[in-house]
Amino acid sequence: MKSSTTAATAAAGNRFGFFAMRRLRLAVATALVATAACLWLRARHLALRPDAFDSGWVLGVLVLLLAAYNLRKKLTFLPLGRSSTWLQLHIYLALLSVIAFAAHTHLRLPRGPLEIGLACLYLGVAGSGIAGLVLTRVLPVCLSTRGEEVIFERIPQFRRKLRILAEIAVLRSVTEADQTTLSDFYTRRLARFFAEPRNFWLHLFQSQRPRRRLLAELADLDRYLDPAEREIAADLRDLVEVKDDLDYHHALQATLKGWLFVHLPLTYGLLLVGAVHVVVVHAFRGGA
Amino acid sequence: MPDTSTLLDRPRRWDQPFGRDMDDATVDRLLQVSPFREMTPAEFPAHLPLRDILKNDTRVVHYEDNDIVVRKGDYGNSAFLVLSGKVEVLLFDVPPSALGRRERRRRGLLRSIARLWTNPNLPEVRDRDRVRATAELAEADENVHMKILVQDLPIAIDPHSIASLSEGQLFGELAALGRIPRGATIRAAGGAELLEIRWQGLRDIRSRSATLRKTVDELYRKNALSVILRSHPLFKHLKTEELAEVTREATFETYGNFEWYGNYKQLLDAGPAERLAAEPVIAREGDHPDGLILIRAGFARVSRAFGHGSRTISYLGVNQMYGLEELVHSQKTDAPAPLQATLRAVGYVDILRIPTPVVQKFVLARLPREQVLKFVSYPRQLDSHSDASRAAPARTVDAPSGRATEATPSHAAPPPAASTALDPGTLEFLVDNRFINGVATMLIDTDRCTRCDDCVRACATAHDNNPRFIRHGPIYGHHMVTNACMHCADPVCMIGCPTGAIHRSAQGPVVIDDQTCIGCQTCANSCPYGNIRMVEVRDEGGEFIVDKRRLPILKATKCDLCVDEMGGPSCVRACPHDALQRIDMKDTQTMAQWLKR
Repeated sequence: MKSSTTAATAAAGNRFGFFAMRRLRLAVATALVATAACLWLRARHLALRPDAFDSGWVLGVLVLLLAAYNLRKKLTFLPLGRSSTWLQLHIYLALLSVIAFAAHTHLRLPRGPLEIGLACLYLGVAGSGIAGLVLTRVLPVCLSTRGEEVIFERIPQFRRKLRILAEIAVLRSVTEADQTTLSDFYTRRLARFFAEPRNFWLHLFQSQRPRRRLLAELADLDRYLDPAEREIAADLRDLVEVKDDLDYHHALQATLKGWLFVHLPLTYGLLLVGAVHVVVVHAFRGGA
Repeated sequence: MPDTSTLLDRPRRWDQPFGRDMDDATVDRLLQVSPFREMTPAEFPAHLPLRDILKNDTRVVHYEDNDIVVRKGDYGNSAFLVLSGKVEVLLFDVPPSALGRRERRRRGLLRSIARLWTNPNLPEVRDRDRVRATAELAEADENVHMKILVQDLPIAIDPHSIASLSEGQLFGELAALGRIPRGATIRAAGGAELLEIRWQGLRDIRSRSATLRKTVDELYRKNALSVILRSHPLFKHLKTEELAEVTREATFETYGNFEWYGNYKQLLDAGPAERLAAEPVIAREGDHPDGLILIRAGFARVSRAFGHGSRTISYLGVNQMYGLEELVHSQKTDAPAPLQATLRAVGYVDILRIPTPVVQKFVLARLPREQVLKFVSYPRQLDSHSDASRAAPARTVDAPSGRATEATPSHAAPPPAASTALDPGTLEFLVDNRFINGVATMLIDTDRCTRCDDCVRACATAHDNNPRFIRHGPIYGHHMVTNACMHCADPVCMIGCPTGAIHRSAQGPVVIDDQTCIGCQTCANSCPYGNIRMVEVRDEGGEFIVDKRRLPILKATKCDLCVDEMGGPSCVRACPHDALQRIDMKDTQTMAQWLKR
């Protein structure tokens, strides 16, 4: 029976794709839980109970569970389940937390510096999380389709190597052709290009304009070059393409690593200000 | 005119003889010993006389009482002939600790947590005293490459659980010729003089001398063949005398280069045609099948003619079969069916060929056709219209419960349905790169991998802050085969390890015992995939540990599949995006499902 069920799930998974099926299952589960939670809060509200405390505690617990994922990532040696399972929980609990946030605030604008700060931090964490999710789903596919796979930490090393190769080629053009056409162009247009990562934002938005412009300028030089220089120019064009791909990988990989530097500090801030908020509201709850 | 001082003799096979002390007198003595006594010089070509083989491919080794000659589970590349004295085959499982192997136990919860403060901050830190003990062990025995470096067997042995081998008897030939683990531990009893024959010499003598061939084949039939056939689902229904007939009729053949890892990298750089040309053809598409082929060791490529080349449709590993579909079709239609695909040796392959009449008599006449066809583990070419109904394997919901599940043997994977078949490009990539050897190959889906390196960090945490793989490797489409040990089905890295430090653990993964590794680099040089790294070790203070010549002490390191971790491989558990998986390449169905998610 179990194998039959597994086979049926596998067959369905094959039709829709494993990830689509998982997304569907978890989205339905999240919707059910959210509906149940909303009905419960509504019932509390109708019973004249202080539902702000209920929704607040639900939100607080959800935020703590969401923050626990970072702890799980650090404790890799403990059998706490697969990180991918935790990430799925993280994503869908985060969705629930957005609903809990809406229920808690009744979508009203916050008042007072503490509430404003807390709301901004929550929105910052949620926003950076959603942005991170989109980035982690979109950018890896882009990385797979362009340039050679390269480990981020090794990029400076490859960049240096490309710069040396380009400089050797340019020096060769001076000694072989006794002309400075290519070397002048290198100094003017390529030296900086090869020296550091370039066009970060343009790469992030998948623009190839700088690459095409540089290649076009190099091609325009051809009419002023002798055959030996043209060969060197062709080598330079290849190096420009490789360097541009390397910059592309640098930009995308840096973004994939970098968004967490926004998400995590905001999370720590949220936990801290959230704790203060809990203390304050309980201190001043009165007889509620 | 080249400078004559730089001219060298071209290196030749016997520049480095197996034994340093093999002189003419010793060879003369060996020629008077059976089975060499029965061999005639005429059996050997002029360029490869028996005398030279004995002088260069053998060595005489003296063992003291209770010395271990071979250990069960080790991969060896030589066979032994008892010259004098006696050896004992231990017919029971000797505890790993008694064989000098450290038993790896899973870390408990507290030891796992303790890693938070006990993991060193510097790379490759070792206990200086332990490293010194290993270095002294290696130094103490000049014949480090001749004997297994363990002390006398320190356990009491029941005399009824041993078998003796005496003068003139050969052992270890199956492991040497078939690259399979040693089947038993053998120790010297009261001192013994053995002739160790490395596999190259054994192969040459066996191929030329009918005497040795007969001896080895008889030993194989007696010790291994009937056991192999009895354990195979296709033959397990046979009575003892029927099985004996199959055993008698089966032939044992070897194809390809035993040391395939030597030219593997050159072949990778060659074109597809050159690569195929380097793979010996075992059976050719269009030929008449003369029997059923059962793979005993190694891997084979199954391909069909396509355009001006050949398209790989599958690969076969141990216990998988070729030619069955054609035999079934012939039986059904009463007309000969030519072979539908070509079978080639990838690297090297040992096969059993069971003649057609034997298969017809004992298999096709006894078992239902559909049940037999379940053993065809690659896409069928004949009767393909019936594939849809047949391909509903035991694992699907439509299969009759119980009976159908039993009919599908675990080691004869059902033929893949279209949705779970590997596409031709992936197959070519995997076979050309010999990744089919992997039992726990690390695959990364680069479309999902965010390059966060959580896998690398988790690996490092599990190994004293030293990552045991590199998140890099060949890519096909959007799937990367990472530079991580694949725990190969044919672990060539284990051949030649002088201390047995690299071995297959009880749980399955190939592991290195750091304490017994003497840093000889044999395994790292043998690994065709470059997945074993030699590292220079430091003490707790951060100083490199050096030997008396001030050279750094080396240790071989690689992925151990986290055998001593709670919860399995850290890399898989640490990946947040379901981008990384360890896959047994023999299980093409699971692999295809994962690749096509």
